[in-house]
Parts: sequence; C-alpha cells; structure tokens
Amino acid sequence: MKLSGLKYLTNQGIENIWKNKMMAFATFCVLLISLLLVGCAGLFYINMNSMILGLGNQNEIFVCLFPSTPQEYVEQVDSQIQQLDNVDSVVFIPKEEAYKRMQHQITQQGQEILRYIDDSEFMPDGFSVTVANNDKIGETTELIARIENVETAQSSLQVAEFLRELRRVVTLIAGAVIIALAVVSMIMISNTTKQSVYSRREEIQIMKYVGATNSFIRTPFFVEGMVTGFFAGAGAFFITWAVYKSVYDILMSQGMLMSAFGIGSLIPFNKIQIITAVAYLLIGSLVGAAGSTISTRHHLDV
Amino acid sequence: MVELQNVSVTYSSGVDALNNVSLKINDGDFAFVVGSSGAGKSTMIKLLLKEIDATSGVVKVNGYNLSRLKKRKIPEFRRTLGFVFQDFRLIPTMTVYENIAFVLRVIDAPPKYIRKRVPYVIDLVGLQSKTDSYPDELSGGEKQRVAIARALVNDPQLIIADEPTGNIDPELSYEIVELLKLINDQGTTILMVTHEHDLVRHFGGRIINITGGEVVYDEVIMGSGNELLPIEDEYSETPQYEPPPQDIEPAYNEQYIDDIISAIIDTSSHNKENTDGGEGD
Repeated sequence: MKLSGLKYLTNQGIENIWKNKMMAFATFCVLLISLLLVGCAGLFYINMNSMILGLGNQNEIFVCLFPSTPQEYVEQVDSQIQQLDNVDSVVFIPKEEAYKRMQHQITQQGQEILRYIDDSEFMPDGFSVTVANNDKIGETTELIARIENVETAQSSLQVAEFLRELRRVVTLIAGAVIIALAVVSMIMISNTTKQSVYSRREEIQIMKYVGATNSFIRTPFFVEGMVTGFFAGAGAFFITWAVYKSVYDILMSQGMLMSAFGIGSLIPFNKIQIITAVAYLLIGSLVGAAGSTISTRHHLDV
Repeated sequence: MVELQNVSVTYSSGVDALNNVSLKINDGDFAFVVGSSGAGKSTMIKLLLKEIDATSGVVKVNGYNLSRLKKRKIPEFRRTLGFVFQDFRLIPTMTVYENIAFVLRVIDAPPKYIRKRVPYVIDLVGLQSKTDSYPDELSGGEKQRVAIARALVNDPQLIIADEPTGNIDPELSYEIVELLKLINDQGTTILMVTHEHDLVRHFGGRIINITGGEVVYDEVIMGSGNELLPIEDEYSETPQYEPPPQDIEPAYNEQYIDDIISAIIDTSSHNKENTDGGEGD
C-alpha cells in the first residue's frame, strides 16, 4: 500500500469516530469502565501487597551479643550484619535500653525480682534488625546467629509465615478478580464493538463489492478502535488519579491506621503514575483496536 | 466476457435456483436479463459477483474462472467489474465525491488521478451541483446516477446492474437505461437485470429470460424507441409495450446527451493515452 493510501485510511478511521459518534461514544464508555474496573483492582492489589510487605518489615530480628562484649567487637558485628543482603536496617540497643525494655515486658512477679537488681550490667548489648524481604527472615536470622560474638538471634517465624500466607491468599483473590473483570470487560467490549461494526455492515459489504481487500476495510476500523481506546485509557487514567489521590490523602491522615494496618506502606500516586498511564493507554489502544478489527471479520465474508 | 457453462446452483435448503444454465455474453454487449421473482436472476448475479459458488458447471467473467478463483483473488476480480444495485448501496457517511472516489482509493490510485477522474464522471452523470451532497440529500434518480458513476469510475470491462430502475420513478428509468446505453456504446459490456418489460422493449438488445432457473429465451430484439417493432413469439407473454408518456420531459436534452457522448469519447482517449504513455496518474 502506498503512503497516500495509508494516510487516507488513517484519516478515514479518525473521521469515522465523528461520523459514528454515538457508537464511538458507547465504545469509549465501555472501554473506560472496563479499564477502570481492571485498573482499580490492579492498584488495590499492589497496595495490599505493599501493606503486607510493610507489616513484614516491622517484624524484627532481635540479636543479643555475649555479655561484656568489647565495644570494638560490637561495631564489628554491626558492620557484618549491615553487609547481609536481606538486611534493611540495624539499630543498636545498648544494655541500658535492653534493661528498660525488659522491665516493660516481664510479669508482675518478675518486677519483684528486678527490685533487687539495680544494675543493667548483666544485660547484653544487642541489635534490632529489620529485613527487606520478610519471606527470608528465617535465613537471615540464621546467618546473623553465625556471626562471632552473637549469642542469639531470634525472629518471629510465625508472623513471617502468616504474612506470607496472607500475601498468597491476597494474590490469588486479586488475580481471580482481575481475570474475572478482564473477561467481563472483554465480553462487554466485544459486544459493543460488534454492534458498532454491525451498524456499518452494509458499508463493509459495499467496500467488498468494489474490490476492497480485507486489510483495506479493516485499517480504518483498527485506527478508529485504537484512537477510541487511547482516549478511554486517558480518561481512565485521570479518573484513577483523582480517586486514588483523594483516598490516599484520607488514609494517610489517619495516623492510627497507618501503624496498625501498615497503611504507611501505601504507594503514593506519583510513584506509579507513569506505569499506570502507560498501562492504561497501551491496553486501551490495543483492546480498542483488536476488538474493532476482530468484529469486522464476520462481515468480511461477502 | 461472461460465460456460464452448464451451471447449476442448489441451495442448502434443497432449492434448485439455477438448472444447467449455459450462456455467453460477449464484450461490448448490452444484455437484459428478465424473469419473474424467484426465477433465478438474483442467484445469477450472486454467481457473477462471486458471492456464491456454482454447485456444478463453470462460470467465467472477464477472463477469471470463478469456479477456481481463490478467495484472496476476489478483490482483484471485482475491480474489473462495476455494480449498480436496485437499492443504490451508497455509503451514507460519504459525500457523492467520496462515494465515487472510494473505488479508486481501493485500487490505490494516485490522489492526482482521483482528483481529475472523479469530477469528470460526476459531470458525466450530470451531478456537478451535488458533488458535496450526502446520499440522504439526493433523489432516487440522483442516487442511481451516483451509483452508475461509481460503477464507471474504474473504467470496468463489465457493468452488472441489478434492477437499477427498481427504486426510482418510471420516468427516470428511461434516463438511467439511456445512460447505461451510452456507456455501452463506448465498449463496456452491460448486463442489466430488470423486470420492467417496457424498458426492455423500448431499448431492445439482447434479452435473456430466466424462468424456473432455466434460460427460456435468449434473443436479440430491435428496440422500439419511437416506433413499435414486431416481437418474437417466445417473448410475447410479456406485457405490450407502452411508450413513455409524452408529457414527461427527460432530465437532460439531446444536447446534453451529445455532451456526454463527447465526454465519454474524451475519457476513453484520455485513458488510452495514459495507458500508452504510462503517465501513471
């Protein structure tokens, strides 16, 4: 096909949107709603995942050194822990701090005993270590325990296991919901594009009678679907942006919720806006183009 | 050239639409195909457009053996034809100009040629003032003239007209057939399906009568034009000729017809020059 021919067909595709504005608007709306449904489900999933990971990061490894470990060895241990792959942060807990913590944690009977101990010297220095990947907290704990001068390294594997299981369940449910929404969306899009094409079946037949090839007939429909899908993607992006930002601001203003449910780990929109925009525009354009082009197939057999 | 050799068509419902039909229409012929509803005329048209395949027999059109024509070759074959339908089949969202230019765009004709050729055929059918009108803004006769211009613009070897006068006023029917005759005079083969016997008698030419899926009559008769002429016995069942009412003024006068003829001659020589000279536009 010559360049002039391609230009003509592209222009025809764009003009057809205006000429068939009612059907184009219907397709636009269906695409917009479908993209919003799937997009919001996707964003909900990645935020849930991030929240669970955030909760996991609060799961600490408590490291106790041997009592009376000299200061230079303490620093050496600190440095060796920092060098481990999965370690996110290392906070030194001096024996005095450890003693205070113990005071808060032990039972009433224990408190009675502590009355006779007014010195924290018997307590070891230690570290509180958080990990980047909570799933690997067990391995990291073992590695820390092997470091010289470390007496014990302990973490709550049950919490880690619970969070891992929670993530798996959330992933499965979100995956199923996204797939179901995608299928429903495809059916809605397919029906709308079919109707749009059906209303122009006579036009397609005329084109066939005058010797138009299938690709010649399909190209304007492809362009039309792609442009409609692109605008639906843009619309979905702006709606998502507005809603996401509002919900994010509301949740972030709830200080208690932030710490209790890991809401502090919610992803701010500016971190995902580019990938969201690209996904919406790309998927909108592709689905629009494919739906429109595939729907013409039935009418091409003349 | 159109050639049907022992062609039969049986639909999946078991209906025999055509039964062992053989006929040949030579280049430059003007043939009327007549017959009652359900006689097989539409089936024959569908066969010639390669819309359906013959159950048996051979169908040849413009050098293409349709019985063996591959699906991907159908567009190429259809570009050698022009179609005129009873219901006009104009694209409602396109102007008169665009409806006609569309045929040339299908064959990837250069824009310069399209800009030259389309106004020319619009002039030819006398619709200069309607160039930018949409089909909905035209009368039946005007729509059919656009359809004829569309069929003509690609300079086809054969024009198939399926009841082209079926949806227009009787007085305009003569005008439409006259136009087709003028096109035929320049060498384009015309196959016109009609059930309007008055027209057939008036213009004369080759008459093919299909009844019950068979060709029952295939002869050339003289057109009555301004005088009644004897009619073949086999065709005598058709209603007697009634000349068009005298008070009806044709939409164009003799001078206009002369202009059209000159224009067609011009375009033919122009096309020949293009072919010989290889200008490519």
